[in-house]
Amino acid sequence: MAAPLQLYCWRGDHGLPSVDADCLTVLAYAKFAGAPLKVHKITNPWRSPTGILPALKTREEGSFSQPSKIIIQLRKQKYNADYDLSAKECADTLAFVSLLEEKLLPALIYTHWVDAKNYVDVTRRWYAENIPFPLNFLLPNRIHGRQLERLRLVRGDPTLEPGEQLEKELYHDALECMTLLSQRLGSQKFFFGDSPSSLDAYVFGHLAPLLKIKLPNGKLQQHLNSLDNLRQFCTNILVLYFPSESREAPAKKVSNHADGGDFDNEPHKRRNQILSVLFAVGAMLGYAFLSGIITIKHTPARLEEPHVDEEEEEED
Amino acid sequence: MSLAAEAFVSQMAAAEPWPENATLYQPLREDQILLSDCASSLAVQAYLRMCGLPVRVCCRANAEYMSPSGKVPFIHVGNQVVSELGPIVQFTKAKGHSLSDGLDDVQRAEMKAYMELVNNMLLTAELYIQWCDDTTSSEITRPRYSSPYSWPLNHILAYQKQWEVRRKMNAIGWAGKTLEQVYEDVSQCCQALSQRLGTQPYFFNKQPTELDALVFGHLFTILTTRLTSDELSEKIKSYSNLLSFCRRIEQTYFEEQDRDGQSGTSQLSKGPSLI
Repeated sequence: MAAPLQLYCWRGDHGLPSVDADCLTVLAYAKFAGAPLKVHKITNPWRSPTGILPALKTREEGSFSQPSKIIIQLRKQKYNADYDLSAKECADTLAFVSLLEEKLLPALIYTHWVDAKNYVDVTRRWYAENIPFPLNFLLPNRIHGRQLERLRLVRGDPTLEPGEQLEKELYHDALECMTLLSQRLGSQKFFFGDSPSSLDAYVFGHLAPLLKIKLPNGKLQQHLNSLDNLRQFCTNILVLYFPSESREAPAKKVSNHADGGDFDNEPHKRRNQILSVLFAVGAMLGYAFLSGIITIKHTPARLEEPHVDEEEEEED
Repeated sequence: MSLAAEAFVSQMAAAEPWPENATLYQPLREDQILLSDCASSLAVQAYLRMCGLPVRVCCRANAEYMSPSGKVPFIHVGNQVVSELGPIVQFTKAKGHSLSDGLDDVQRAEMKAYMELVNNMLLTAELYIQWCDDTTSSEITRPRYSSPYSWPLNHILAYQKQWEVRRKMNAIGWAGKTLEQVYEDVSQCCQALSQRLGTQPYFFNKQPTELDALVFGHLFTILTTRLTSDELSEKIKSYSNLLSFCRRIEQTYFEEQDRDGQSGTSQLSKGPSLI
């Protein structure tokens, strides 16, 4: 048996095994197919072999980052969750994955990365708190910029500005897409009967973050919550395939609620206060020193050689 | 089209019947139109013919700039202008012409999903081959796209468009693909369509839907367009049921209708035939 495959993905939170849709898709597929992966849950994409997350590292064929490619790799290693599907069901899988990518994904990007309130309150905050210093100042804004750019290009409108108009159009498509998925799922446990396939992994990956991460601007969430079978479908997968995460969820939620409250970052606040006072004092001293209000004189040097004074003046 | 405008249009649309002088605008057929635009335009024409709605095809060099969404084709009906297949389907639905009313919920979900499959894979592949394959873009795409304009505008516009498409490919992760991989994707998409179609005459048995129009528009255009290499059309030719599907729609909705009606408009509406 070859060395285990290594999968790098974003760390989980909010009762999810990972916060990122692509990572969730891959994780779910690996569970469905029973692939023994060595999973590294990290918060620094620079430590992934491809520079982005998720990434699958194989011994022979290098590293892969797109979910579809990762799934193909796993399939090559004989971990195939779609083994029982008929040719027509494989065709349906391809079609519904396209539906997700074209209709739901733009709205998901919008709701997590572009909608100002959600981005500032939830997404940027999570990434800023979890990505190690100093990348946490850089990466969230970079991802934000990239996602906005992506929306612009996909919509074919270079002057696109986030706003009500755009939101309406994107959400209209996304709500329709969720309704269609719910109709297709019907009363079945998974999309193709009793065992999960790659389509289930994709749907779960895209919908689970919506279900679990509470957003201030939650129109998509409200709609998902009104579709009972889809909500049940995501919860089922979480309970069946990621039992450890769903058990952790309540504990985490409590801490989240505390975080959300007013006396929020009490420990952080104290630390921040001390840091800012130190910073201010440093800045004042620096200014005083540079502008010559305070000068440091090496008394022994001065006694011996008078020309040191000249040097100090030059520095001023 | 914006949602508010869409709601308004559909209200207005419901009141008026389909006029005789409806017009569909597309770029010049002989010298200018590109594979992807031609496919979208043919899909809309096929859809309107399936609905039995007459439309006159009008070629304009500046069709892209006339369109409200910047994409061709668009139709001008009464005093309304609607572009692209999705909104046009909604628009005709508001006027009481629909092909997908007979489907149940699951079938409608599948129909929408397959339409997105065509948009996501076939259309993107066409754009990729047109603008990102260096031979095709320098020999066919840029000269055709810029044919109505004089120097230096022709170069500026063509490179601007190419730059935009390439950035889009970058954003959706297609930039790293090789031409071979793109052909592979097309093949995969055709296999899915072929599986779904099976031995039925149309995707949802006896009645054509907007999905049939969309698939026909793309496959027929690929089959009848000459590019720098034949590989794209070869991919489709290996699926015999898709070929006979194209032939069937061509016969039923283009040849027979043309024989019945005046032949003047028909010759304008569709390019070469498939035999």
